[in-house]
Amino acid sequence: MTQVFRIEGGLINRAKPLSFQFNGRAMQGYEGDTLASALLANGQRLVGRSFKYHRPRGIFTAGSEEPNALVQLREGAFQEPNTRATVAELFDGLTARSQNHRGSLEFDLMAVNDLLSPFLTAGFYYKTFMWPKAFWETLYEPVIRAAAGLGRLSMEEDPDKYDKGFLHCDLLVIGAGPAGLSAALLAGRSGARVILADEDFRMGGRLNAETLAIGDQTGADWAASTVAELAAMANVSLMPRTTVYGAYDHGIYGALERRTDHLAHSNGKPRQVLWRIYSKRTVLCAGATERPIAFGNNDRPGVMLAGAVRAYVNRYGAAPGKRVAVFTNNDDGWRTAHDLAAKGIAVAAVIDVREKAGVTAPNGVESFLGCRVVDIKGRKGIKSVILSNGQAILTDCLAVSGGWNPNVHLTCHQRGKPVWREELNAFVPGRDLPVGMVVAGAAKGEMTLGAALKDGADQAAEVLTALGRSVPAGDRPTAEDEPSTGTAFWYVKESSKRAWLDLQNDVTVKDVKLSQQEGFRSVEHLKRYTTLGMATDQGKTANIPALAVMADCTGKTIPETGTTIFRPPYTPVPIGALGGRARGRNFRPTRLTTSHQWAQDQGAVFVEVGPWLRAQWYPKEGETHWRDSVDREVKGTRRSVGICDVTTLGKIDVQGRDAAEFLNRVYANGFAKLAVGRVRYGLMLREDGMVMDDGTTARLGECHYVMTTTTANAVNVFRHLEFCRQCLWPGMDVHIISATEQFAQYAVAGPNARNVLQKIVDPEFDLSNEGFPFMACGEVTVCGGTQARLFRISFSGELAYEVAVPARYGDAMIRALMQAGAEYDAVPYGTEALSVMRIEKGHPVGNELTGQTTARDLGMARMVSKKKDCIGNVLSERDGLNDEDGLALVGFKPVDRSRSLKAGAHFVAKGKPVTTENDEGWMSSVAYSPELGHAIGLGFIRRGAERHGEIVVAADLLRGELTEVEITSAHFIDPEGERLRG
Amino acid sequence: MADIILKAKSPLDGFSRDWPGITLREVTGRALVSVSIPHGGEAALGQKLSQVYGTIIPAVGESTASPVDNAHLLGLARDQFFILFDEGGQAPLAAVSAKLAEVAYLTDQSDSWAMLHISGPNSRAALARICLLDLHPDHFQTGQVARTVMEHLGVIILRDGADSFLLLSARSSAQSFLHAVTVSAENVT
Amino acid sequence: MIIHHPLLGPRDAAEFYVLGDAALIDRPDGQAEDAAERFYGYLYLRDNPAGEHRELWYHEQGDRSWLVVTRDTLTHEIKKVELARDVALQKGRGQ
Repeated sequence: MTQVFRIEGGLINRAKPLSFQFNGRAMQGYEGDTLASALLANGQRLVGRSFKYHRPRGIFTAGSEEPNALVQLREGAFQEPNTRATVAELFDGLTARSQNHRGSLEFDLMAVNDLLSPFLTAGFYYKTFMWPKAFWETLYEPVIRAAAGLGRLSMEEDPDKYDKGFLHCDLLVIGAGPAGLSAALLAGRSGARVILADEDFRMGGRLNAETLAIGDQTGADWAASTVAELAAMANVSLMPRTTVYGAYDHGIYGALERRTDHLAHSNGKPRQVLWRIYSKRTVLCAGATERPIAFGNNDRPGVMLAGAVRAYVNRYGAAPGKRVAVFTNNDDGWRTAHDLAAKGIAVAAVIDVREKAGVTAPNGVESFLGCRVVDIKGRKGIKSVILSNGQAILTDCLAVSGGWNPNVHLTCHQRGKPVWREELNAFVPGRDLPVGMVVAGAAKGEMTLGAALKDGADQAAEVLTALGRSVPAGDRPTAEDEPSTGTAFWYVKESSKRAWLDLQNDVTVKDVKLSQQEGFRSVEHLKRYTTLGMATDQGKTANIPALAVMADCTGKTIPETGTTIFRPPYTPVPIGALGGRARGRNFRPTRLTTSHQWAQDQGAVFVEVGPWLRAQWYPKEGETHWRDSVDREVKGTRRSVGICDVTTLGKIDVQGRDAAEFLNRVYANGFAKLAVGRVRYGLMLREDGMVMDDGTTARLGECHYVMTTTTANAVNVFRHLEFCRQCLWPGMDVHIISATEQFAQYAVAGPNARNVLQKIVDPEFDLSNEGFPFMACGEVTVCGGTQARLFRISFSGELAYEVAVPARYGDAMIRALMQAGAEYDAVPYGTEALSVMRIEKGHPVGNELTGQTTARDLGMARMVSKKKDCIGNVLSERDGLNDEDGLALVGFKPVDRSRSLKAGAHFVAKGKPVTTENDEGWMSSVAYSPELGHAIGLGFIRRGAERHGEIVVAADLLRGELTEVEITSAHFIDPEGERLRG
Repeated sequence: MADIILKAKSPLDGFSRDWPGITLREVTGRALVSVSIPHGGEAALGQKLSQVYGTIIPAVGESTASPVDNAHLLGLARDQFFILFDEGGQAPLAAVSAKLAEVAYLTDQSDSWAMLHISGPNSRAALARICLLDLHPDHFQTGQVARTVMEHLGVIILRDGADSFLLLSARSSAQSFLHAVTVSAENVT
Repeated sequence: MIIHHPLLGPRDAAEFYVLGDAALIDRPDGQAEDAAERFYGYLYLRDNPAGEHRELWYHEQGDRSWLVVTRDTLTHEIKKVELARDVALQKGRGQ
């Protein structure tokens, strides 16, 4: 069987035949086909099984609103579930499979659910799976999960690429139907920057599906020539295959462009691009969606929307049946009969619920006025329809039209509510539109071609005027208004069989009535109770008829009943597209120090510190455990000299006549008297009195300081300083700029630090203890004239310096330092050894500065100046932060020296039960001290300062460890600081 | 130590690559110094600029140019601009300091940024994948400059020709930034 | 959202960091007699209006200026954008 349902005409390219497979069966189609039109041309009417009852289903629409014809597209890792066959563009080699059946599509074992339907009504899950409770995890959930869902994921990583991007325009035109093309044409001719986006691969909208004329052209020809004119304009950007899926604040729209979905292979290019479109104005020309009428067995394959039948016949040259009947409540349905007749397809009958229609049937076609379809015979395809007068009509396809709903979705994305238009029997956009949006054409309720063309141009003209552009003169497209009257008719009451509203989620008229009976009457409750409109199609064809049924049951009007809230996206957006290129290591940027390459060559193990990668330790051959490396690095540093890359610390250049006073206010301790050439430790508080950050600040000149921050807080501190300088003290002459990236900075620590540096720093600079004492700083030159900064500061507690060179020399500098240090067995040390040494010295870091730590907790209360007004000092004096029983940072040693300590353990007094009531504090940092030969820890404990020597229990309930620890000074090594001053 | 000479390395090792309609190069040999205008010192600085560079303080978002050291002055904030100029014999800070030390606060930024130059008819399409600013020539003209964000990274962008842009981004994340730009070039060509 | 920066024109809110109530500009005098009381009010007592709100936004990925943005929290309409430095100076803040 090859395309026996293919008929003459259409906008397909018969010179380009394409081969594809459906459920393993080879079929043929043409370029310009969708998968749905090609399936119809091949006589494939049964395309899937329904979600809940596994009822046989066919193609229902010809657009993105399709509820039924969902397929599993492509193979292997490329496969995509729940793809709408009605919008899947056919390509050579396409493969698709039907979904949601066990066994074959024709004989689905799960179809038994349909027989169980009396038990599977709305709210079934809520009622049934409540008891016994234990059954949920063991029985119900596994069974439901196995039965649920439509398509299947490949469970492989998506091999396609995705991207994102940003576009800007004066005017965004959404939808390239008659109104959209008319609007874009006028705007394009005005010279404005226009983006015209349409979800279809062929622009023209309904013009391609209808036989209506514009002037002396067919609608489709006019669309093609208009698109060609627009394509030639440099100021117009045409975006076919692009769905504008969401309207956001201030003229921002989200759009999904499908770039390679119509190709067999992506060829390494992004499959889809998610655009953020910034528009000054937007004309929404989203058209309208036809709605069905509900009656008995109206879900059978072969029941199709009347407009879709016209689309398949006129645009795709594919006949949905050999003998088609029409069931309608409006004039549009009759047009289907005429178009079919014109193509030589037999029309079985036109059935109109109205007693009188303004149009007539084609010659020789029987029409039934004031009549309804009550039932359908035939399970996997229609055989006949039964009318309310009892008559049976033989037919293989029923075209149904219940009228049209303007596509108001995007008008509601910013809280807008649609309003009911009685004469249209439909909701139209309300007054509260997203900023900058106007609506034109059928989306606004201008339902005829002539009106849509005119409205598109009129709205564009208004927008152009608002943008201060002149409106181009010249002819505008015109067309006659086709008959378009209709009546409100939603469902056939006399149908005894189940009448379907939501085809994708299997919601029937009866379900809605049940929902009403059980008290779920608000539309939002109705939706959740019955799952109406909650499937991938979001109920585009189902919601309004269901609202009408609910309104009928409650005796309210449809506008009183109201709609559920429309939210983005308009149609599904793949997760891959939302993720874009941010996958794997491209999820976020990585920052590298200038010694990274060198460290890598040394075999360093790296650790992520925010976006930074820092060397954690440098394993040597024979070392089997990280502790081997870290202990060696600590010992080597304390015994002779170690070198550590400290580039990642934030560095902020502070300059200005008022720089000294500024620092004096942002730091809790005094900075007014810091001398040029000296460095001071600074404690920065938040206004609430908690510690924000700490670091050292060096005074390089009268009006020039360089502040360091912790690696993690660099950005926050900079922002805070800008706040202080702009919002609090705008009159101060102080200027800040980040210098973090400018310098590569290395700590050189250990008894031989000076000896090493003397080989690096040029000889004219005096590095003696007198010439360059502890906390000195200055500009020097190194290695024969390279500008550098030298700071005599120590984090390790050893004699130490930090030397900073312009980053371009960072790589050379680490190599130079290691070369100079070779004779002293200099070791590079990583963040782990750095941490061990700072714990040995009792220096707090992020583990201690949690945002809930006060200066008092750290034993630094005396540093907070009471004599000046600085950030945080007022509220640091609050009673609650100065409790005598408050926490204090102290050191801890295990009583049994062979035991390890665990950070996160909580302290309780010896002999007391380990309960929250007895909690006295916690261990914040732990390390093994190679110097002392046992574990040490830092932690906060109540009245810690007075309790040195006391034994308490460190309870780590997570790991089930109770360890007796002795409270000590936090300064485990060289408490007097003799080494660093030496 | 006389026998150790420090060799400079550029952030992107002199990267250079072409795609159809896109040329992407690392820019080296250009120095960058930030200039902050002291409170009340605008007039004095303006006068000095006109004396030594023959130009004016750039407005925010604009740049001015000077033949002296082939300098471009990039207006980045109300009280701050950057001078981008050819490296000479002197250290960057010293070079500007000699001219402006008395009337402005200066900070060397030469090593803080990786500099990439992207040009060609497809360069704007590539940038549209990562840059949220409107780079249409009517909107962002030659000589205009902006500070913005691309792929989470701060970027200074200067249009120096019809289809020609200078991009500055932080040195430490230069490889990530380069990756962002090359992926964009790859994706649109 | 789009914020119309007084110096730079329309910029995407993605370039900004938002701090909250612009009342944070009105930092009390730390040396005042009743400083503790005033700081308590300054830091902890805020209005949370459903409607017009003056907020501090920081152009972190831009010119680093702090802005006072007058925004309707219900509709997101932005009625006014000022440089926070100018606002602070108008309020008499200086040194």
